[in-house]
Amino acid sequence: MSEYLLEVNNLTKKFPIRGGIFGREVGAVYAVNDVSFKIKKGETLGLVGESGCGKTTLGRSLLRLIEPTAGEVFFNGVDITKLDADGMREMRRKMQIIFQDPYASLNPRMTVGGILAEPMEIHGLFKDKEERRKRLLQLLDQVQLPADALNKYPHEFSGGQRQRICIARALAVEPEFIVCDEPVSALDVSVQAQVVNLMMDLQKDLGLTFLFIAHDLKVVEYISNRVAVMYLGNMVEVAESHELYGGARHPYTKALFSAIPNPNPNVTHDRIILEGDIPSPMNPPDGCHFHPRCWNATDECRGSYPPVTEESSTHAYRCYNPNQLS
Amino acid sequence: MAEKILEIKDLCVEFNTDRGVIRAVNGVNLEVYKGKTLGVVGESGSGKSVTALSIMRLIPSPPGKIARGTIDYRGENLLEIPFDEMRRIRGNKIAMIFQEPMTSLNPVFTVGNQIEEVLELHQKELSKEQRRDKAIEMLHLVGIPSPEKRVTEYPHQLSGGMRQRVMIAMSLACEPDILIADEPTTALDVTIQAQILELMNKLQKELGMGIIMITHDLGVVAETCDDVAVMYCGQIVERAEVKELFNHPQHPYTKGLIESIPSFDSTTGERKDRLPTIEGMVPSLFDLPDGCNFQDRCNFATDKCRGSEGEPVLKSIGTHHDAACFHPLS
Ligand SMILES: Nc1ncnc2c1ncn2[C@@H]1O[C@H](COP(=O)(O)OP(=O)(O)O)[C@@H](O)[C@H]1O
Ligand SMILES: Nc1ncnc2c1ncn2[C@@H]1O[C@H](COP(=O)(O)OP(=O)(O)O)[C@@H](O)[C@H]1O
Ligand code: SF4
Ligand code: SF4
Ligand SMILES: [Mg+2]
Ligand SMILES: [Mg+2]
Repeated sequence: MSEYLLEVNNLTKKFPIRGGIFGREVGAVYAVNDVSFKIKKGETLGLVGESGCGKTTLGRSLLRLIEPTAGEVFFNGVDITKLDADGMREMRRKMQIIFQDPYASLNPRMTVGGILAEPMEIHGLFKDKEERRKRLLQLLDQVQLPADALNKYPHEFSGGQRQRICIARALAVEPEFIVCDEPVSALDVSVQAQVVNLMMDLQKDLGLTFLFIAHDLKVVEYISNRVAVMYLGNMVEVAESHELYGGARHPYTKALFSAIPNPNPNVTHDRIILEGDIPSPMNPPDGCHFHPRCWNATDECRGSYPPVTEESSTHAYRCYNPNQLS
Repeated sequence: MAEKILEIKDLCVEFNTDRGVIRAVNGVNLEVYKGKTLGVVGESGSGKSVTALSIMRLIPSPPGKIARGTIDYRGENLLEIPFDEMRRIRGNKIAMIFQEPMTSLNPVFTVGNQIEEVLELHQKELSKEQRRDKAIEMLHLVGIPSPEKRVTEYPHQLSGGMRQRVMIAMSLACEPDILIADEPTTALDVTIQAQILELMNKLQKELGMGIIMITHDLGVVAETCDDVAVMYCGQIVERAEVKELFNHPQHPYTKGLIESIPSFDSTTGERKDRLPTIEGMVPSLFDLPDGCNFQDRCNFATDKCRGSEGEPVLKSIGTHHDAACFHPLS
């Protein structure tokens, strides 16, 4: 069996834009465009990029919560885009997702016990009441919540605790892979650190594989083995976390990471201030989408989208004139 | 030493809620200097926005009430001046940028109209045409592309980053003496944040305004502030010059906050095995302990901290460095 748990080839998601009285397709947003990548078993791949670049769409397409328009998603060697409804339901046990807003994604009228038991019931994962209770207590213990949480309702918990409940719910079906879509973005710094530690511990203990989406680049860099950078639906660079500051090859990656405010007042670093806003995804620039904001742009960049350059087995980028490494 | 333009003394703000009265801001002292930026940091609910709104006299009442304190602005106590006078100061001498620009922009007026309205109120000598020209100039200044076109658009036609910049343009249209920025970039991407912080910095240099930068991002503090105040449960627990605060935090809470920022040793590519955390969570304002509010999360807590000697008060522990702790770290 391959060392990769997930292998994604040329994944594309197009949202049609309809207009007029007949609702004809008048345009399209390529929210995810021809994206390919792999994730190893037990690895965390971070996913970053400005809002609207397609991170959520990509994450959900992997689980077919959004149907991809084109491309393949191999999970443990099976192309899940070809599975029928039954096959997909079985597969979902192995692939879970955690969302940003831990409140909106928890049913306020269900107790924590009910919320955690639901996915296990759907998949018929326990035989009797006793087994159910044991498993629920084990889940709470895994996310470091007290046993008396079982009979409480979501509103009785703080934001950080609610996110722990969401994590426990995802773990309930014993998944191998979890898409984490901004799981700590709504939390305060000190609570965020607690949840990040918890997720890293769980990964180690349970051998989980993560796709970790966040707009806090420091958190992503910290938790991920490798990080993928998206811009306007395209994956423009994938590199090991520690390469992102000094070793970024794509100009956008360099600009993005140089924009992070540095929590160390003793040093000043050179900042690249990008001009302008991200162009409309409905009408992206020709060629490399980044060319109107890129200081390395040449005529070639305006002509066609740059192909993938594989610098090493862990580092790839799409750019005609990459940053030179000093 | 720069000129002191605002001084808050012993500010206490209370809210009446169905569970009783809470003191959201409890004895806060702050100073703002001309041309300088004061950072106010702390977790959500620590009283940052309520402090800012008090300066603007925008605390909703009821349920809120400024129970005690003075806010001295160039020799006048803002809490005592007549309402009319306060209205003239607000948005003219003291302007505020809110976290969510959509709530403070009027959806039914164009961006241009809204800036012009501010100008009409504060620069009466300008003609209608001059106001339009000035509105376009302001939009240009805050980095909005094709401002002649944008000036006729409505807030919903703009991206989040552009709306925030419109808010800043409005706040700056009257060249305020003090700008209060309440999480001005929290909802924005880092690239837009970098643009906006740079813009604020540039305008501060040009106009010499004092800025109060409210944020929970210590990176933003390190990069933009001259002085910092750390809030916890409605109180200032530590304040110092920015480098001093990061290099020698004295309050265990401040130290915990600084350490819990994910960091990476970019020379070796090693990550810390675990992020240091502050265990537990902020106590409820309805149920504050005797003594130090941080005691349940503090590794250094002693009986003294649990109330035997009252609350720790903000005390000088070095040059321009104060902390409210019985056992400062040094
Ligand atoms: N259901 C949808 N219909 C049409 N467009 C969509 C839909 N969902 C997302 N989009 C568009 O796809 C792009 C990517 O969105 P998203 O994946 O949510 O980005 P991110 O998570 O990176 O902020 C955006 O331009 C967004 O407006
Ligand atoms: N209008 C209000 N009514 C009741 N309580 C309020 C009101 N506004 C603020 N508070 C309370 O005051 C405290 C401080 O809030 P705030 O200043 O907004 O915190 P921060 O800006 O630091 O996140 C919180 O506990 C909050 O619930
Ligand atoms: S392909 Fe050209 S425009 Fe695109 S990032 Fe590279 S140099 Fe810049
Ligand atoms: S006063 Fe005591 S409990 Fe409070 S921060 Fe200082 S050492 Fe900790
Ligand atoms: Mg998203
Ligand atoms: Mg606030």
